[in-house]
Amino acid sequence: MSLPHPASVSRGELTACHECDALQALPALRPGQSASCRVCGAKLLRYPAGGLNRPIALYITAFILLLLSNSFPFLTLEIQGRQEVTTIVGASRALYNAGMGELAVAVFMTSILAPTLLIASSLYVLLAARFRLPLPLARVALSWISHLEPWGMLDVFMLGVLVAFVKLGNMATMHTGLSLYAFCGLIAVSAAATAAFEPRLLWRRLGRRRT
Amino acid sequence: MRAKDIGLASCHTCGLLQQLPPSGHAHCPRCHSPVHLRTPNSIQLTWALLISAIIAYLPANLYPVMTVTSLGQSQSDTIMSGVIYLLLHGDWPLALIVFVASVLVPLLKMVALLYLLFSVQRHSPMRKSQRTRLYRVIELVGRWSMVDIFVVSLLAALVQAGSLATIEPGVGAIAFTSVVILTMLAAMSFDPRLIWDHEEAHRDIT
Repeated sequence: MSLPHPASVSRGELTACHECDALQALPALRPGQSASCRVCGAKLLRYPAGGLNRPIALYITAFILLLLSNSFPFLTLEIQGRQEVTTIVGASRALYNAGMGELAVAVFMTSILAPTLLIASSLYVLLAARFRLPLPLARVALSWISHLEPWGMLDVFMLGVLVAFVKLGNMATMHTGLSLYAFCGLIAVSAAATAAFEPRLLWRRLGRRRT
Repeated sequence: MRAKDIGLASCHTCGLLQQLPPSGHAHCPRCHSPVHLRTPNSIQLTWALLISAIIAYLPANLYPVMTVTSLGQSQSDTIMSGVIYLLLHGDWPLALIVFVASVLVPLLKMVALLYLLFSVQRHSPMRKSQRTRLYRVIELVGRWSMVDIFVVSLLAALVQAGSLATIEPGVGAIAFTSVVILTMLAAMSFDPRLIWDHEEAHRDIT
C-alpha cells in the first residue's frame, strides 16, 4: 500500500500559508519533494519518498534504540577507584533528590517522556494507516505529534552529555556505557524518521471523521 | 492574497483549507483541532509570557546554576562562569557552542520577540518576509538553550553525595529553565500571520 498517486497528492489544491496567510495553489509534488510558500518561503507540505514503509521501519528502530538507551548504564564516572553509574533517568532523579522537583519534571519531560510519546504515537498512527487497522485514538495521537515535537530534546541532551564529559574529564575518568551508543543511534534514526514522515499526508488518508 | 480576506484558513494541525464562520473561529472538520483566522489574544498572550521570561532572566543569570563542593571547599557557577570555565579548561569550540546556546540564544530570542511585537502593534509594513523568517528561526533554535540544564542534571547524577565531591543544582537552574520554557511558549503563541496584517489600521487583529 502506498500513498495516493504522486500527481494527485497536491496538484492545484489551494492552501493558506501558516506564516504569512498567502492563499496559493500547491504544485504537483513527486516523492522526495516539498512545497514552499511563494511569498515567505515557509514549508507548506512535504512528500517524503518511501511511502509508509520507510517511516515505519525507522520508527520501529527508533523505538528499540529508545528502550536500549534507557535500560543500560549511560555514563560511568571513576574517581580514585570509586565508580558512579548513571542512566538517562538518573539525570532527572538527581534533580529530584536535590529537592528540585519542578526541574526534575522539566528534564524528565524533555529527555524521556516527550521523545517516547513522539516515537510511540508516530508508530501507532503509521501502523494504523498502513494496515488499515481501526485502532482507537489514532486521530488524537496524530494531532498530538506536532504539538509534542518541540519538547522532545534528545539532540540537545546529547550536546549536554558532551559538555558534561569535558567538564568532568579533568577531575575524573569517564567511561561510556552501552546506552550512550544506543542513544547516538537513536538521535540519527529519529531524525531520519521525522524526515520520512509528514503527518499532513496521513490526515489526507484518514479523511473526515465519520462519527 | 491573504486567505483571511475571503474568510479562509488552513488548519494548523492537518492543513485542511476551510471556510470559517464570521466569528473567525471553528473546529476543523477533519481533525477537530481549533482553527482561527488569527490566533485569539495572540499579542497579549505573547506579551505576558515574554515579560515573565524577561523577569526570570535576571535570577537565571545572577544565581548559581550549580554548586560544586570538593574537600570542604565549595564553588558556585552561574551560566556565564560555566562558559568561562569551559573556555579555560575545555576547548573553545565547545565553549562557543554553549555560549551561543545558553547566553546568546535566550537574549536574542527575547529581543527578537520584542521587535516582532512592537512592529506588529505599530502595523509596520517594513521587511515582512524578513520578520517572518526571523520568527521561524526563533521557533527553531529556542530549545537548544536547555543544554545547560541537562549538563547540571548529568553532573549532579554522576557526582553524587558520598564521593569526594558533590554537585548540587542551584536556584538559577530553575529560573533559567523557566526562561527557556516561557520564551518557547511565547514564540508558540505569537501568530506570524499578524505581520502581514499591516494594512488594517484598526485593531481587529485579536
